[in-house]
Amino acid sequence: MNTVLGPVPADRLGVVAVHEALLSVLPGAEHAFDIAIDRAEIFETLAAKLRDFRAQGGGTIVDSAGMYHGRDVPLYEALSRATGVHVVASTGMGPEPLLGGYFLTPQTNPPTPWPAERFADLFAREVTEGMVVPRVERRGPAGLVATAATREGMTGTEESLFRGAARAGLATGVAVSIRFGADPVGDLEIVLDEGLPAGRVVVGGLDRREAVAAGAPLEIARRGAFVALDHVGLDDDDHIGDEERAALVVELVAAGLGDRVLLSGNAIGVAKGHPGRELPYGHVLSDFAPRLHALGLADADVRRILVDNPRELLCRA
Amino acid sequence: MSRVNTVLGPIATEELGFVAVHEHIGYGMPGCELDTRWWKTPEERYEETVPKLRAFHDNARPYGGATFVEATGICNGRDVDYYKSLSAKTGVHIVACTGFVGGDTALAFFARADVDYLTRQFVHEITVGIGDTGVRAGIIKVGVSRGFRMTDLDQRIYRAAARAAVETGVPIFTHLAVDAEPAIEIFGEEGLPLHRVLFGHVDDGVSQGRVRDTEIADRGGRLGFDTFGYDLELPDPPFWGRPRRERLEHFLRFIRGGYLDRVLASADANCSPLGWPGVKGHTVNYLFEDLIPDLRDAGVDDAAITTIFVDNPASFLTIQN
Repeated sequence: MNTVLGPVPADRLGVVAVHEALLSVLPGAEHAFDIAIDRAEIFETLAAKLRDFRAQGGGTIVDSAGMYHGRDVPLYEALSRATGVHVVASTGMGPEPLLGGYFLTPQTNPPTPWPAERFADLFAREVTEGMVVPRVERRGPAGLVATAATREGMTGTEESLFRGAARAGLATGVAVSIRFGADPVGDLEIVLDEGLPAGRVVVGGLDRREAVAAGAPLEIARRGAFVALDHVGLDDDDHIGDEERAALVVELVAAGLGDRVLLSGNAIGVAKGHPGRELPYGHVLSDFAPRLHALGLADADVRRILVDNPRELLCRA
Repeated sequence: MSRVNTVLGPIATEELGFVAVHEHIGYGMPGCELDTRWWKTPEERYEETVPKLRAFHDNARPYGGATFVEATGICNGRDVDYYKSLSAKTGVHIVACTGFVGGDTALAFFARADVDYLTRQFVHEITVGIGDTGVRAGIIKVGVSRGFRMTDLDQRIYRAAARAAVETGVPIFTHLAVDAEPAIEIFGEEGLPLHRVLFGHVDDGVSQGRVRDTEIADRGGRLGFDTFGYDLELPDPPFWGRPRRERLEHFLRFIRGGYLDRVLASADANCSPLGWPGVKGHTVNYLFEDLIPDLRDAGVDDAAITTIFVDNPASFLTIQN
């Protein structure tokens, strides 16, 4: 298992939050005239949140924001050392509007966006050679390849991103996280088409209302991929609330798919340039797990969802 | 008092001397910093860059000072602290810009921003400083995205730049002079006289047939013949290259045709490119080593050369109050 401080035996991970963000910077916000980026303050905020997570029984945080959304590997290393929480950082990018022009309108004529193969190489090297600190150095290996499609539906470049992420996952053995655009099953099929086993994929955002209404969580679990109900604590126009979310978990377990379920909050520790999402990393443990118990889910089932499933996902194949 | 913002502080216009009005210390598309194939150590960067700037400084000596206008916009690897150290150690005046090379080089945060926010970003960088460097931008960069048509985002950036130029008095220079109609309309609506705008890259190979150069000049705009040296005769020319003779003749037509006070020239070279291979052997010093001898051979006198490289940029760059 790749953490920012190096490989860690999988049985030490404890409770894992698979879809979270530590420092999240909307690309470009680092140049904004009215946004201050105070590293000491960011560290203190994140350290307090990680200690809180640990106090609630958390063991591992996965920063699934990819390589171009404020990822700061040296900061995460120091945070992990200071708090004792394992931190897994991710490579990957997406959706398309968050990419830089280097990938979308390269200095070629015509300016053809990057094909899958180049994304695959960029992401795979972040696992095999280490994650980049831009123009300075490589650090420890990425533990996840994360990508996303736009809500209106996957673009051509996003298909390249998904296929590239799948190839990087295949080549390196790390898992692939996809946040679907408009079609969860169709987007999953893109990465499976590259030959990636479904068990190496987690599909995020499956607690979005339209996905639930379409029966996507069960369908995706049946295909063998991990189902991330990863907006725990959120109840809005886009997402089902915790009550429905807990019922969905119970439904999945009852269908014999409890080994495919993952829970996370998509909390953002520190956001720059966008509103963020304020939620304790430990919310799943402190607030959501009791709901599952109340609905009659066995301890072993809850533990499987919080510990065993993410361990299986994050262990390099 | 007439002054220009450089990375080491404002200087009097009279100190500018010879001006290369559209150059790069290093340019790269946003995201190229993630790709290790382009990485170089700081030692390599300085080693590639300092001799070119020193030669530029020495070449410019007959004109007084040497001024290098850095055209790398926000998100393209603009590195103002680095420019400060280069300027301090070589004596070259470096003018940094605010703005964007084009909408397609503005990252998501700015792509989502409205005209008002972009205006405040530019004004802040001109009047307060860029980031925490304390350096004030001396010019605003705007440009047309790939595809030869101004996008909505390009137009928002042009409008914000026009407002910032009116408010602060610094000029605007553009990446590409194609599809100039919407640009001219925006500048007109915002009350910015066209002599405060340098329409750049009128001379590049891919733009030919798409630039209404005479019309821009007749309406008061300035023309940037600023990709000198990207010649198709090079062993591995970039796609925007052009036959050397053809570019020179294009320039001469405007010099001889009554537009001497409207034209500026530069090489758009990278001292040390950030996210592309660059063009080997092409430097800002092409202006001295090739262009000025070519102009002299064509009968352009020293007074005209001084107009192009000293007087025109001085009046253009001077902050209007």
